[in-house]
Amino acid sequence: MSETYATVGQEDTAVGGVIIIAMSILAAVLVIAGLAYATGTSARHKGALAAAQCEPNLSPSGLQCTTVAMLTSQYMAIMNPAMQQLNTDAAACTANEGHHLAAAESALTAIVAAEHALDTKLAGFPFSPTVARTAKALIQANQALATLAAEQARSSSLPQLRSFNPRVDVASAAVQTEMTLVRKALAVPPTASQEP
Amino acid sequence: MATTREPHAPYLAGGYQPKRRAVRSRVDEWMDKDFKFGDSHIKRKAVALILLGAPALAPLFFMAPAFFTMNKNTFSGSVDDTLGTGAAICLFLCLLVSPMAMLTGQHWFVPLRRWFGIMMAASAFGDAIAAGLTDTFEGGFLGVVAGHVFELMGFMIVMLLIPLVITSNHWAQRKLGRYWKRLQQLTYVTWILLGFHLILLEGVGFERGDNGSGFAGDGDPIFHQRFYQYGACSLFLLTLRLQPVKRWIAARQREGREWLVWVTIAPIFALFVFGMTFFINEQIFKGIDSFRETPSSE
Repeated sequence: MSETYATVGQEDTAVGGVIIIAMSILAAVLVIAGLAYATGTSARHKGALAAAQCEPNLSPSGLQCTTVAMLTSQYMAIMNPAMQQLNTDAAACTANEGHHLAAAESALTAIVAAEHALDTKLAGFPFSPTVARTAKALIQANQALATLAAEQARSSSLPQLRSFNPRVDVASAAVQTEMTLVRKALAVPPTASQEP
Repeated sequence: MATTREPHAPYLAGGYQPKRRAVRSRVDEWMDKDFKFGDSHIKRKAVALILLGAPALAPLFFMAPAFFTMNKNTFSGSVDDTLGTGAAICLFLCLLVSPMAMLTGQHWFVPLRRWFGIMMAASAFGDAIAAGLTDTFEGGFLGVVAGHVFELMGFMIVMLLIPLVITSNHWAQRKLGRYWKRLQQLTYVTWILLGFHLILLEGVGFERGDNGSGFAGDGDPIFHQRFYQYGACSLFLLTLRLQPVKRWIAARQREGREWLVWVTIAPIFALFVFGMTFFINEQIFKGIDSFRETPSSE
């Protein structure tokens, strides 16, 4: 009787043995295939960079250079949330500038902070030499707008606050112009929040 | 009447002591001993557990500067890569504990299972909340966290993690009794859902245009597919949970042929390490970018 059960026990573990050996063979094949594929990484990388116009850059990922697509993607990751924030704050300012000085000033203070944060990020952005000059102009235009907004935020009355609007419009237009140039240089499609 | 346990009877009766038992108890006993540090006595196990468990804090550590400065840009840019990847790593490490205990016969590191589970939940909660507040999808918080199918999978994982975390303590274990283990088996559901989350996140495992993380532009879409990495890690964890495989391993260990077990599982373990390398690489590079508040969208 015990022989019978011993046989059952052996069959029991035999199934496990078949499974684990099958999985091991599969895993071994996958590891070898993965390693073989990995040996071609450098060639594929170079090919992709050549096809996608390589931009000299010290990428944090350790890549020797960054493609235009990668740069564009990084730029959008900075600009999209910043523009969203600025549009929200600007809308809050416009909504309050007719009747609520403190709220309008608070919105302007938020705009100034957002502009400064954006400037810092743009200053640290690895623009390629061909775009760097336009990007610098964008940062300067943005700084001018931030300075004006900071002055506007210190207004003592609503009429005084609104008196800044024509100058703010001119400064905003300058920022928009520079942004358009940077977008074109990086081939970034305009988003809803960036369209004038 | 003979029972099906008859072939194992000598072992169960204590007449046969496999070598593994002795080795296991020696390591566990060694880990249970104190060592003197200054005026205090510290358990070796405690130090080892802290050293092994500390890396699970990395995802939260990487996001801490963005949290303290409320940097929306960093959260929207890389919270999913930092906390989401961290949660996946913690899940795999949590699932790794039981197979390793079975293979080595050691149990001193079993407390790490709970720790990695809790840290997985913390990372997943942080990911879901931050993504819900900062992602640009339409539909408000709920629309962001559950508006797309892949996000719905992530949302379901987070929902399942709530009871798992609440009951991950001795008090709940005592109160729930035999139902506790069944409840904790929901971890396996989160494991499956993570697979769906990743496969739907990146073009059902195939790169199509800019659909998939291979869009980073380095020409290696296959190595960027998180679902493949998930599969590589899961094969080992799944295989060693299958009952026939467990029986086969136990039988070889009883025979004193542990070398055969190690040789057989070596390729599956190598595949696990291969997959984990990509997750850890992603965690380190994206995490450092997040820590420096210069989120990478690669």
